[in-house]
Amino acid sequence: MQNKTGNKIKLGLFVSITVLIFIVGIYFIGQKQQLFNRTFHISGIFKDISGLQIGNNVRYSGINVGIVEDIEQVTDSTVKVDMQIDEKTRKFMKKDVRAIIGSDGLMGNKIMVIMPGTISKTEISDNDVIQTTQPVSLDDILVKVKITSDHMADITGNLSTITQNVSEGKGTIGKLLMDSTMAKNVGQAMVNIKQGAGGFKQNMDAAGHSFLLKGFLKKKDKDKKKDTK
Amino acid sequence: MPNNSKIRNTEIIEKVSKPSAIPYANVIRGFFEEVTQLTRFTFRFFSEVFKPPYEFSEFLRQCYLIGYKSFPLVAITGFILGLVMTIQSRPTLAEFGATSWLPAMVSVSIIRELGPAITSLIFAGKVGSGIGAELASMKVTEQIDAMEVSGMNPFKYIVITRVLATSLMLPVLVIAGDAISMYGAYIGVNLQGTVSFHLFFLKVFESLDFSDVFPAVIKTIFFGFAIGLIGCYKGYNAKNGTEGVGVAANAAVVLGSLSIFILDMIAVQLTSFFI
Repeated sequence: MQNKTGNKIKLGLFVSITVLIFIVGIYFIGQKQQLFNRTFHISGIFKDISGLQIGNNVRYSGINVGIVEDIEQVTDSTVKVDMQIDEKTRKFMKKDVRAIIGSDGLMGNKIMVIMPGTISKTEISDNDVIQTTQPVSLDDILVKVKITSDHMADITGNLSTITQNVSEGKGTIGKLLMDSTMAKNVGQAMVNIKQGAGGFKQNMDAAGHSFLLKGFLKKKDKDKKKDTK
Repeated sequence: MPNNSKIRNTEIIEKVSKPSAIPYANVIRGFFEEVTQLTRFTFRFFSEVFKPPYEFSEFLRQCYLIGYKSFPLVAITGFILGLVMTIQSRPTLAEFGATSWLPAMVSVSIIRELGPAITSLIFAGKVGSGIGAELASMKVTEQIDAMEVSGMNPFKYIVITRVLATSLMLPVLVIAGDAISMYGAYIGVNLQGTVSFHLFFLKVFESLDFSDVFPAVIKTIFFGFAIGLIGCYKGYNAKNGTEGVGVAANAAVVLGSLSIFILDMIAVQLTSFFI
């Protein structure tokens, strides 16, 4: 009889502990889905939600503060996303917060990111419709990459033509770099400039000894000495 | 008259021993006969389960024997499952630099599928064979007949208590096994890295959803029901003396395990249809 009671107690303990584990598990999963917290609701209108799903996390300042509660197609080009947010974060959220759809890492789920608003603005209210920023889709990025690569192709084509012309000695730069006559002419021009500069110096020395410029040069010397003092 | 019955018997023997035109006709006929009998057995279960008297004390005894006594086996299996699953998954995730995903990946795999399936198979091996052998030996030693003669309802006392106990205890064992698996996975993660207990379980619960937990637990009620019912059916209808005991125990395990996979396939289809 005592053994029977002992067995019943053991069974009762085993079942109770297991049920407790189950309830704790359910509580933690439910808490993640804001089931046991007080919440408020906000929504945002998007053109494209990029695969966002009901149940995806809502992040504010990098913290998970809620979940996407509902997604509804309003018109042919607008989708309304309802969010359930933890009441505790309401005091930090202002009327001008902005929602953007992001991604949790490179391979992660889509998330709703709420960007902080201006501190001076009033606190957000229940059922407010917040401003949104359209997410940059991978398709948009690919279109831009294609345009950039087309431009790059044009630029490299032009560069190729220019370098070909230069190597063939066409145009001013081509002649400058490739034409030997031009180089000789430039060399000769430099010799002429050097000779001209020597002659000019002699002329200036001669002018310094002339009575017409003597007074002017003496005055200049005096001013120079005053400045040094 | 005796001459007539002799002639009829010979006709029957000839008819039975005559090779059939359809290949494996006997096998096919035997299969359908078995299905019919099992269906009848199931109907009898449901027709008698709600009628008093209720064998509550025997039900609790069976819960203790089937549930509590199976816990050590389930616990060891669950712990090893979590540990091995983590160690084996790590190299693949490490190739992508995604070892931080280990808790999420292992928890979803174990809670959704591996935990219920492996625990149920272990349960079918231990409990299904036990029930099959026990009932078969009771049948061949005419204990069941003796119960009937003494005015007891053996079906109520033997079958209903056991089937109810398997149906209720398997989900409990699966939950306990899953919890221990998660602990095994935590140790597995920490064998080659360092993740705190808090962070590990935070990531586990972050990746789990109600749609992962509830279908997985509910389907194990059906697994338990199938294991108990098949074990009882095979034992209750055992034939050919002591040889039949072994056959019943073996058939209870084989059919019980097969039924787990079939029910699992149906459960997965239903889950993906509704969720």
